[in-house]
Amino acid sequence: MTASEHTLAPQRNRTLFFSLLALVIPGSSQFLMGRRWRGALLFLSIPVLGYIVYWAQSYQKVGLVTIGSWTTSWLWAPLALFWIWNVFDARRLGNGQESNSFLGLLLVLVILYVVAWNVTQIKPERLVTRFNDAKSVATNLVNPDVITITINGEDRICAWQCMSEYISDTLAGRPTQGPIRASKTLLDIIGRVEQVKAPAWEVKLGLAQSGGQVTGFVAGSLIETIAMGLMATIFSTILAIPVSFLAAHNIMSRVPGGNVVYYITRTLLNIVRAVDPVVWGLLIIVWVGLGSFAGVIALTIHSLAALAKLFSEEIEHIDPGPVEAVTASGANLIQTLRYAVVPQITPPFLAYTLLRWDINMRAATVVGFVAGGGIGFFVVETIRMGGYQLYATALWSVAVVIILVDAISSTWRARILADQPSEPEKRRSTWVKIRTAFLVLLGVLAFIYCWNISEISIKDLFAPAPTLGSILHDFVTIDLGPKTLGPVVQQMLITIFQAMLATTLGAIIALPFSFLAARNLTGRSKLSVWIFYLTRGLFNVLRSIEALLYAAIFVFWVGIGPFAGMMALAVTTFGLIGKLFSEAIEEIDPGPIEAVTATGASPLQVINYAILPQIVPPFTSYLIYQWDINVRMATIIGFAGGGGIGLMLNTFFGLLQYHKAGTVVLFIVVVVALMDFASAKLRQVLV
Amino acid sequence: MLRVENLTKVYPNGTQALKNVSFEVADGEFLAVIGLSGSGKSTLLRCINRLIEPTSGKIYWDDTDVTAAKGPEIRKIRRQIGMVFQQFNLVKRASVYTNVMSGRLGYVDTFPSLLHVFSAQDRARALANLDQVGLSEKIHVRVDSLSGGQQQRVGIARALMQEPKLMLADEPVASLDPVLAHSILKYLEQLNKERGITVLCSLHFLDLVHRYATRAIALKDGELVFKGLPQEIDDAQFKSIYGQEAERVSII
Ligand SMILES: Nc1ncnc2c1ncn2[C@@H]1O[C@H](COP(=O)(O)OP(=O)(O)OP(=O)(O)O)[C@@H](O)[C@H]1O
Ligand SMILES: [Mg+2]
Repeated sequence: MTASEHTLAPQRNRTLFFSLLALVIPGSSQFLMGRRWRGALLFLSIPVLGYIVYWAQSYQKVGLVTIGSWTTSWLWAPLALFWIWNVFDARRLGNGQESNSFLGLLLVLVILYVVAWNVTQIKPERLVTRFNDAKSVATNLVNPDVITITINGEDRICAWQCMSEYISDTLAGRPTQGPIRASKTLLDIIGRVEQVKAPAWEVKLGLAQSGGQVTGFVAGSLIETIAMGLMATIFSTILAIPVSFLAAHNIMSRVPGGNVVYYITRTLLNIVRAVDPVVWGLLIIVWVGLGSFAGVIALTIHSLAALAKLFSEEIEHIDPGPVEAVTASGANLIQTLRYAVVPQITPPFLAYTLLRWDINMRAATVVGFVAGGGIGFFVVETIRMGGYQLYATALWSVAVVIILVDAISSTWRARILADQPSEPEKRRSTWVKIRTAFLVLLGVLAFIYCWNISEISIKDLFAPAPTLGSILHDFVTIDLGPKTLGPVVQQMLITIFQAMLATTLGAIIALPFSFLAARNLTGRSKLSVWIFYLTRGLFNVLRSIEALLYAAIFVFWVGIGPFAGMMALAVTTFGLIGKLFSEAIEEIDPGPIEAVTATGASPLQVINYAILPQIVPPFTSYLIYQWDINVRMATIIGFAGGGGIGLMLNTFFGLLQYHKAGTVVLFIVVVVALMDFASAKLRQVLV
Repeated sequence: MLRVENLTKVYPNGTQALKNVSFEVADGEFLAVIGLSGSGKSTLLRCINRLIEPTSGKIYWDDTDVTAAKGPEIRKIRRQIGMVFQQFNLVKRASVYTNVMSGRLGYVDTFPSLLHVFSAQDRARALANLDQVGLSEKIHVRVDSLSGGQQQRVGIARALMQEPKLMLADEPVASLDPVLAHSILKYLEQLNKERGITVLCSLHFLDLVHRYATRAIALKDGELVFKGLPQEIDDAQFKSIYGQEAERVSII
């Protein structure tokens, strides 16, 4: 008793001191008391939130209230409360009590969501008032233009209903309404066999005359897209390997002057990576003109930077043990590399390349929006014509291809990263050798074919348009005048908020579904396993299509603007985060559930003490990760009418105002790189 | 007193995990449950607090019929019975404090507990129990940063929050090295001797049984094949429990 009385007085002083300090400098007390992260976050969040509220009030007129002759935004109230909460937080920590972050977080979220809702121009009533438009789009989407039927000499789209009639007529032996064939759209997408100019190699082999016609296969836009994705993956992998050594700290620190090279390479990679391939496309078309080749270059540049970063991290994490052991056995440098380094980095390099192939294929479906070529270009054209059934065909075919690529890439990745069979033990039969040779040959042929259809032309690369120099100069003369800066900052903020709302909306809807898609909940019994496959399938289909491709639907439904873009992003988010959530649920450890049940807890308490603590951290981490991804996606959603900074960038490029476009790209780089950094750090703390 | 009568458990897939098991445990005993892997030790312990539903048979705890209890009643019984697990079964991402507090859930109102609000008494109790297992400094540390032995001590502190009269321990030391095994079992022994808590503990090593248990039972393929004092398990007994090829090994 007396002991506690003795410590009471200094304790009171201490608490008072920390409360006052937190009042003057938010977060400082928490920082001093050893809660570094809490303190730093509080210290940063007050000015950032202050700016956001100021911006929302003065530029976006959010939450305006008039008191007498004085107009202000009510959002200042939650901000003030947050400041006060920070003082109480310091006080409780000073008393040695655990402080609850719930209230503070709530206040911050209120501010952020109110601002986000307003600047993204959410008009939920439009979802209802224009529901009929949505219905007509939806009808078109589920009835893609795949088969054409000729009735009385007139061509019509033959969708599900028509097809089922046709089939039942044929089966019953009745005369059908007319002959059917693959539609023009399908041929445009996949390709058609027709008379083409004889290719050079056939002429050389004497199979055709120079300038003569032969029957050949003309690749459709989907094949072109696949080729673009494949070529970009191959080029970027080859280029990334040498670059990755320059960006590996453990290697460069041994070379004189290597540290400088390391930092420069890392910085460049981060900058290049922050710019979406679609934006790179805008720059590249200035160089090599519209077409698939521009798309391949844009994809290659972005993918090179991403791969080189991953590769270099892999090199940095090499296990020095084997290197030491092989060196100790008297091996020279080349031998050491071959036997101690290469075996270590090959599997992860291959795995990352496969992952990148998947990502590049997705990006290839949209890079044509600006670069021309591929299915993206096809989509732009069909939307322009309002041909939603044609658009539907494109979406479905993209879904099929990407789901296949995703499945192939992930099974191969799993196989590579699982334990590797050691080579000498595996006896190579003749059959395996023949098969390998056949696959290599097939690969080479596919490579040549893809090279041709993605219109790769090294000549174009070295003969850029004469204006390129002046344009590039204009581009790097970044315009930081207030007339440009103001609107750019505005649009950037809108983009960030748009991404935040899309993440929230997508995640809220995905949450209940993710429980249905968890193998440990629905996948066990035969009765419910169909729910598992259905929800997983839904996630896979929706996440296989890039948000940019969805945008057209919502532009038609709710009109051009950030709202449409937000909805499109939310759909992809739903698929992506639903999958991640359900995987997190599958990893729940049943042990704590058993233990808490054994203490006599009620079911609600079991959920709160044994299940939530296991899933809230990974869920939060995925949310942050998804927000990060969505900010990147939101920077380009404007190219399809989704508002935000992408729209502005497209306009500047369209008006040939490259110095302003340069400003926008600079902002994108800074924001995306910051988000990337912050999200990685936050997730580290969380999980 | 705990009384188990003709306890039988058949799993939905047809596995007969327990066959007609009957025994009694007097208050204050330290009963070791031994048997090969798969002999039904975990199933037996989990039937006692009804984490697993017995197929037939009766379990009486101080003359309450555990097998007949329902809903809130079963939770009232559970809160008097602490349990410690082989894999500790702690929420790894939560703090030691939250994990220990979760042992009190059977006593507190649901609503405040959902907001993680506990009375000052309960908080003091948590500190005292952590002190008992020598972990009071680690109270705000996340569990995943603790060693295995420390985690098991958190598990014990959590069970102590229930102020149990009976403690079930399912191979509490099987995931730990021999030195830690003794330290954990000493805590259980201390609780048994000082607080008079009855302990039911499944163990793998016979010398641990000799060292700590006051009585032992043995299961083989779900059947009770031995009941008596630890010292009575001679070589013949041992071979009939563990099979002819088994060798006696000892740890430390
Ligand atoms: N959920 C279950 N469904 C079906 N069979 C089960 C289940 N749990 C356990 N069994 C089976 O019941 C038998 C007894 O298992 P139990 O886990 O009780 O044994 P144990 O003595 O604890 O073994 P161990 O020492 O390996 O923990 C085993 O044959 C086991 O395969
Ligand atoms: Mg067991």
